[in-house]
Amino acid sequence: MQLSRHFALALGLLLSALPGRVLAQVADFAPRASVFWEPSGTSHLLVINPSAELSVTPTEWLDVHAGYEADIVSGATESLKGGRLSTVDIVSSATDFKDTRQQFSGGFGLQRDGTKLSATYTYGRESDYRSNAIAVQAGTTFLQKNTELTLAYGRGFDQVCTTAFADSDGASVKQPLDSSKGCFKNGDNRKAREVDLDNFQTGWTQTWTPELATQLVLYGALQHGFLENPYRAVVIAPAGDQALENHPDNRTRLAAGLRAKYYVRSLTTAFSAGARIYRDTWDILGQTYELEAERYLSPELRLLAHARYYRQTEAAFWSDDYTGGEPEDGPRGQYWTGDRELSPLWSYMLGGRLLYRKEADPQHRLLSVMLGFEASLSFDLMKTALEEFTWGGVEPSDTLGMFGSLGLRGEF
Amino acid sequence: MMKQQTAIGGLAKQLGFVVGVTALALSAAGCVTVRPEQRAVLADPSMQFDADPGDGAAREHVLENREGSSGGRSVKGGGCGCN
Repeated sequence: MQLSRHFALALGLLLSALPGRVLAQVADFAPRASVFWEPSGTSHLLVINPSAELSVTPTEWLDVHAGYEADIVSGATESLKGGRLSTVDIVSSATDFKDTRQQFSGGFGLQRDGTKLSATYTYGRESDYRSNAIAVQAGTTFLQKNTELTLAYGRGFDQVCTTAFADSDGASVKQPLDSSKGCFKNGDNRKAREVDLDNFQTGWTQTWTPELATQLVLYGALQHGFLENPYRAVVIAPAGDQALENHPDNRTRLAAGLRAKYYVRSLTTAFSAGARIYRDTWDILGQTYELEAERYLSPELRLLAHARYYRQTEAAFWSDDYTGGEPEDGPRGQYWTGDRELSPLWSYMLGGRLLYRKEADPQHRLLSVMLGFEASLSFDLMKTALEEFTWGGVEPSDTLGMFGSLGLRGEF
Repeated sequence: MMKQQTAIGGLAKQLGFVVGVTALALSAAGCVTVRPEQRAVLADPSMQFDADPGDGAAREHVLENREGSSGGRSVKGGGCGCN
């Protein structure tokens, strides 16, 4: 409550400091709370994600933005992965955990004659991970504003906490963390390892007819460093020998997504269809297909329904069980993983969103201060089918997820 | 190492194909003209890509921690996603 009073005071000062003729809208504030829940008896994962973004536009050509978000995570996770041949009791090895990730961001944008440049810095921290990232983006419209191109680049300088093994140690003797205690504090048997991330993206949005628009997005990413889960060990020998997950140090990722939106006047509904293909140097091939439909229930209220299907192949070094005598120089002999996201899987997601939006003119502001107000409520159901992954021969039960989100936006 | 180089070469060829097709389509876009007075429907929020970016970003964050693929929506920094 005190925070909201401070915010209202700051906003009032900002509004009074800027001459009204400079710009009608000077600030945009968007708080949001999202929840992801897996109602499983084993993992019962719960992620609560509060966030807020503030954007201030002191002149027509400049905006300054800042954001905050947190992931408050609780549940239980298995710290040891064995497969169908494993004699280790994996399921009962699950341990409870709680962690909080906080992320702060800030940046600015410059805009002139349909061209925009922006830069953002983001800092994230959790008990076992640190993230520093910069992102720059440029965009412009041309061909009578029928074509919009954007280019973006992001660079992450991250660190992850692990046990203090030497780089020269054999992969089969490296051991996982048992907790984040001592991480980034020179704790015993703790070491911070670098993760370098480069992201590239270009987008092309095109209007083709008064009812049809398309968007093509090309994405590339380079990842280098410690790319494993520092807590997870894998059973790698018939006798039950365990070692820290061992992934390649480099990963190149590419994705191309194409979406089209078409407005059917007779149904007063906007339809959207999208497809995305993903490929990486770990040999994962992913395909995503999405359908959406959105229509107005009243001039201020619109309803969106969407469906999403996703399918992927496994990583080259994926195996449900590494104790079956893989050749040492083959991908499953050099590397091992307990990550279900590297296994063959498919999933679907069904959901919807209600969005209320009210606009006002500068002379008749909502609640005397707002030029626009928006509230959205969304819900999604996600079901995953793991085709090969097991915990010691037992199929995971935490494959159903529910996602809900409530967002507000005020334009001042 | 050899397999990694082969995989990168394969990705580069696929990316080159996509870029080539995109360049052709982009040149075709130069022939398209939707006049400003015809854009009433296109300007509607329901016709915007990512009309509710906060909701989309939160959903993408969940998906990226549950799938082996990522990207194609927005550029951002990293995070552990260990759980």
